Amino acid sequence: MTERITQTMLASSLLSDLNNVTNQMSKSQQELSSGKQILEPSDDPFGTARALAFRADLASNQQYQSNINNATGWQNATDTALQNIEQLTQRARDLTIQGATDTSGASGRSAIADEIDQLIESIKTAGNTQYAGRYIFAGSATTTAPYTPDGADTYNGDTGSLVTEIGQGVHVPYNVVGSNVIGDGATAGSLIASLRQISSDLRAGNTSALQNGDLTALDAANDNVTSAQATVGAVSDRLTTALSRLQQIQESTTSLLSDTEDADVSQVMVDLTQEQTVYQAALKAGADIVQPSLMDFLSS
Amino acid sequence: MSLSTFMGLETALRGLLAQQQEIDVTGHNIANANTAGYSRETANLVATPALPNPPSGLIGTGVTVQSYTRIRDSFIDVQLRAQTMKQGYAQAQQDGLNQVQSALEEPSDTGLSSLLASYWSAWQNVTNAPEDIATRQALAQSAASLADGFNQLASQLNTVVSQTQQQQTVTIGQVNSIGSQIAQLNSAIKTAEMGGSTPNDLLDQRDELIDQLSALGNTTVSQTAGTAGQYGSVDITFGGTALVTDTTASTLTLAGLSSLTSGQLAGMQSVIDSITDPASGYLTKLNTLASTIASATNTQHALGTDLNGNPGGAFFDVTAGNEAATLQVDPAILASPALIAASSNGAVGDSANALAIADLQQGLLVGGSTIDQGYSQLVTQIGADTQQAQQNLTNQTSLVESLTNRRASVSGVSLDEEMSNLLQFQRGYQASARALTAMDQMIDQLVNRTGEVGL
Repeated sequence: MTERITQTMLASSLLSDLNNVTNQMSKSQQELSSGKQILEPSDDPFGTARALAFRADLASNQQYQSNINNATGWQNATDTALQNIEQLTQRARDLTIQGATDTSGASGRSAIADEIDQLIESIKTAGNTQYAGRYIFAGSATTTAPYTPDGADTYNGDTGSLVTEIGQGVHVPYNVVGSNVIGDGATAGSLIASLRQISSDLRAGNTSALQNGDLTALDAANDNVTSAQATVGAVSDRLTTALSRLQQIQESTTSLLSDTEDADVSQVMVDLTQEQTVYQAALKAGADIVQPSLMDFLSS
Repeated sequence: MSLSTFMGLETALRGLLAQQQEIDVTGHNIANANTAGYSRETANLVATPALPNPPSGLIGTGVTVQSYTRIRDSFIDVQLRAQTMKQGYAQAQQDGLNQVQSALEEPSDTGLSSLLASYWSAWQNVTNAPEDIATRQALAQSAASLADGFNQLASQLNTVVSQTQQQQTVTIGQVNSIGSQIAQLNSAIKTAEMGGSTPNDLLDQRDELIDQLSALGNTTVSQTAGTAGQYGSVDITFGGTALVTDTTASTLTLAGLSSLTSGQLAGMQSVIDSITDPASGYLTKLNTLASTIASATNTQHALGTDLNGNPGGAFFDVTAGNEAATLQVDPAILASPALIAASSNGAVGDSANALAIADLQQGLLVGGSTIDQGYSQLVTQIGADTQQAQQNLTNQTSLVESLTNRRASVSGVSLDEEMSNLLQFQRGYQASARALTAMDQMIDQLVNRTGEVGL
């Protein structure tokens, strides 16, 4: 026996089919208007997990880039200050050689000693260089000025190392501690102590000390400055390399996130057009099928 | 023995009456074409007992309506109710889980995942400028937003639980109301059947109520024992507990249902369980995440030194057992961000401790996963559960639809069919009337014209 088809069956199938197509259209519509294919976790639970991971990666990546930018700014400030100190030291060396010759009289040497004292103050001022309000040579005591220009030759910072994270678990120390480069008046052999020694030898007329020990000590102290400059250069290079690597990763992660999360607009448009066609066909067929019955053809 | 002259009139009259009743039934069917749960009826015609007419044999005496039958396949009913139960379960589950999933707001830039990312970033920013109060302020605010995010999600999950519990209470009320209606119908059906008639429409109403009941929970129908059952009374068991016994309905409570495994009530319970389960519930997992963040941050924070040179105090405050809902940044930290212990060696510029806290992001703190991964797993679990509920609902709905169609195919009213029946019965009525007219003319001939030969 063929299945009996009743009016209610026709109406309810039509309704449920129309509902299905409308749901699909609404889904496509949402995808188009939001630009996302994952609107809710249930749309693609594992895609959602991937999207969350990519988003977290991107956030960390941006943070690492921001850390690098901060450290790079710090490096540039350090480099400039070290160059400045190096030039001042060079000038002091020239003056020392000049003062060490016996031709300069006591008054000449005293004038040179005065200039060297001024150079020491300039070096201390350079040692107080700040980056974003932080004293870059003060170790981790970044709010304390490490040197006192026109004051005692003490180092007021500490030897703490400042560290930034430029990748997952990659910690890079980025500060140059002033006591290692500029030193203080009490530590023999440090830049300041050497210069103070030169200044006092000049005033005392101790030319033999100036010609030998003092100059050697100054050169040794200057080596500390150049070696710090080399370290700063190396760290800068490392930061630059890390930054460009992070930018590449950011690009590829962004594209992966987009692949996972974003709607394929042309595909959705095609789907939507098809769904609209089906919807119209269903409406037309529904109107044609549901309306007539035997009653329309029976004469009264 | 000869037949009565008027027998033909009687036969034609029976025909008229029978066709008229057929038309009445057809009219009843048409009137109920859109009535939910209505089964089409037919009037069953039988020939009336024949009269002996020797020597020719038996002569027919016409037709009568023997009974009115409703066309129904009780096997489809049983199948349909079994699937309706599962559909009710899937429907309730999908409704609840959809609510849970929209509370997550993932994936987006506003969900808990991005609040977590901001929180870790804020610690990193503090490592870049630990002596800066504004940066610390930003960290305290970011941590407060994270805590708010946890609080809100927990409160939304709790709202879903309490709303679902209210729905359960309402639904149990519905079950009891249906139960008492069925008990009343049992009584009416019994009375009618004892009087010798089949109360088709009452049976339809009772079947419709049983259909509704099976969407709510496990429903089993059995014939009432003894004579009550013979006269059409049925007993209903709901969720393993007797709901209707003959004409008595019990008042059920949710706690009293011993084996509720299907239907909307069980679906609602599964939503509640999936949120509050003490081992694997969503809220339990969220609490674990909140408590891990709080304890890991606090432990590391206590090892550091704040801007005033004091050891770190509590960073987050939580109430054990209800961590996600109660997570908050310690009020002292919010009031004075200088109390954030970023330094390890005590110097204001040192941020090793802040870096150590920022690095907790990579720590495998939640069952071998990072906190971010733990949250992502929770989102994935909710997404997968919801997806499964949606698929179950789609499958069950199409099963129920196809069974409903099968039932409509058997029991539903086809207007075309009723129209053609109407034509048929109308013609039958007209023909019976014509037979009556013929008889009448015959008798007229006999009574008024006989004996007029030659007049």
